[in-house]
Amino acid sequence: MKLLTKTSLNYLSVTLFVFMFAVILFYFLLRHQVNQNINIELEKRKSSITNQLLSAHSSVYTPPNQNEKVIITAMKAVHSPLLSFYDTLFYDNTAHKYIPFRQLGFIASFNNEKFYVQIFKSLEETDNLIVRIFMIMTALVFLIIIILLITVRHTSLSAWNVFYDTINKINNYDINSHNEFSLKTSEVKEFDDLNRVLLAMTQRIEKGYASMKEYTENASHELQTPLAIINLKMETLLQSSNLDENQFTVIAEAYEASNRLSKLNKTLLLLAKIENRQFPDSSAILPHIVIEHQLESLEDLIESKQIKVIKQFETNVVRLMNPYLAEILFANLIKNAIRHNLKGGELIIHITSQFVCFSNSGTDLGLDEDKLFERFYKLSTSPESIGLGLPIVKKICEIYGFKVSYSFANNLHNFKIDFDFKEQ
Amino acid sequence: MKILIIEDEKSLTDSIVGYLVDDGHVCEAVYNYNDSIEKIELYEYDCIVVDINLPDGSGLDIIRRVKRSSKSSGIIIISARNSLENKIEGLDIGADHYLTKPFHLAELNAHLKSINRRINFNGNEQIIFNEIRLLPNEHQVFVCEKEVKLTKKEYELLVFFISNKKKLITKSGLAEHLWGDYMDMADSYDFIYTHIKNLRSKLLKEGCADYIKTVYGVGYKFDL
Repeated sequence: MKLLTKTSLNYLSVTLFVFMFAVILFYFLLRHQVNQNINIELEKRKSSITNQLLSAHSSVYTPPNQNEKVIITAMKAVHSPLLSFYDTLFYDNTAHKYIPFRQLGFIASFNNEKFYVQIFKSLEETDNLIVRIFMIMTALVFLIIIILLITVRHTSLSAWNVFYDTINKINNYDINSHNEFSLKTSEVKEFDDLNRVLLAMTQRIEKGYASMKEYTENASHELQTPLAIINLKMETLLQSSNLDENQFTVIAEAYEASNRLSKLNKTLLLLAKIENRQFPDSSAILPHIVIEHQLESLEDLIESKQIKVIKQFETNVVRLMNPYLAEILFANLIKNAIRHNLKGGELIIHITSQFVCFSNSGTDLGLDEDKLFERFYKLSTSPESIGLGLPIVKKICEIYGFKVSYSFANNLHNFKIDFDFKEQ
Repeated sequence: MKILIIEDEKSLTDSIVGYLVDDGHVCEAVYNYNDSIEKIELYEYDCIVVDINLPDGSGLDIIRRVKRSSKSSGIIIISARNSLENKIEGLDIGADHYLTKPFHLAELNAHLKSINRRINFNGNEQIIFNEIRLLPNEHQVFVCEKEVKLTKKEYELLVFFISNKKKLITKSGLAEHLWGDYMDMADSYDFIYTHIKNLRSKLLKEGCADYIKTVYGVGYKFDL
């Protein structure tokens, strides 16, 4: 649950509870006030009736309105007269319903005789009034709650905006992306503190990462010269004619190994350079031209394996890439497709504006797509391979936001590069 | 061919000089920037092999100096830096080739030979080895004056062999020459074998002597 939703819900439940309680309290207070008013009115009438009684000759008076109704009973007949104010109900013949009344019972003396007098006041109108006030009040309260809620949400949202922005940026943070990591400034101190700490942290990490990469690059770079010396010395040794076959083979094997080492080192260096984005220049690349060129230079390999190349090219596809990287990318995939092809197999190259796909015949090796693009992942069937071809492909794809994927279907190994891949 | 090697790594230089002298070149070696400037001012060389990173200066400055003095020397850069920018810069200021360390001596030698042909014969030279005659510009090959049709790779192989005749050429050296850097060795050896087999049979068919010798499965030698 989002923090904002949570605070909003808390706020809503508390205000609802408080306002409900307040409304109920308000109702009773209102009720009490109205009763008081009616009581006062009844008191007034009481004194007027007492005065009337004092000057009246006859007590027979029957008004049509219940409000005017006065019941006067001789005290003897009343055993325990209800004194003071009470609520009561009368049946209204015209409206056919019970109507609440407020009654006042009091004792009045007349000619030294005591009478029990009851006077009434209808509560119907005041009740209606109370209900209406109550309703309006409730509606107003809800309106206030809603307005408050909206304002609170809105203000919190703007306050939390920086926080969400930070979260979003951290989520998309990629140490390899080489984009500057910047965060919004906030009026809220806590968020500013958080951003400051995060910025300092990423800077430290980036610095460490950069120096590590630099070290890797320098190390492989420095290795090149001694490797060159080893290679040349062994080559010189191999040129000498006074070696027997045994010695010769031993040197040749060592020479092969050091050759492999230097090749591995070169490839690692290339990978490090790609990772360090040392190929910044881009120009418009037509994949089909690069691929045609590569196919041409690998013609003899294709022929010797009797591979049938099927080209399905859209020739208007243009991508912005570094020419050297584009060459490496497609060359690696083509070589891969040739190397792992069957004799007399097929190599299908499909170019569209969305993707480039290399498919080659082969048996299902149950390859793991995740591992396939890892460094030094090798199949037991090709122990001589360096195992850096596909990682390089993946790295180059990462730089340009492409996605490379592997699948096996219909006895074809498919390597597909999606150009317009958006990170989900 | 008179060659100047400028390389601060003495043991590297020794191997290069040894190989080239053995192949009949005249070689001089210097180990720093100042000595090389002196040599260049005083003598004429057919080709200068220069390392970019020297202890007291940049090999690129040496190249600029050679080019300014309008000497016709060919220039080959040997560098541990394998980046496109370095290559482009080196070739831009007038170098003929850029070799990345570690390289094969046969490769360097083949480049030297091709520079030699370009400088001294305007590229019109014929390469003649006993009964074999090559026309580099036309990519034509004649054995006993009969033309032999070779594929591009077979032709490249033959030129490489003749450039490094009587030398052992390792398989990896051949593979790198034919397919460049990013070729897995194990695969390419089979193809080398096929190409050499085809080349040999085409040459033998026209009455050429069997020059291509296998050396203990390590490499090949072009020799009688």
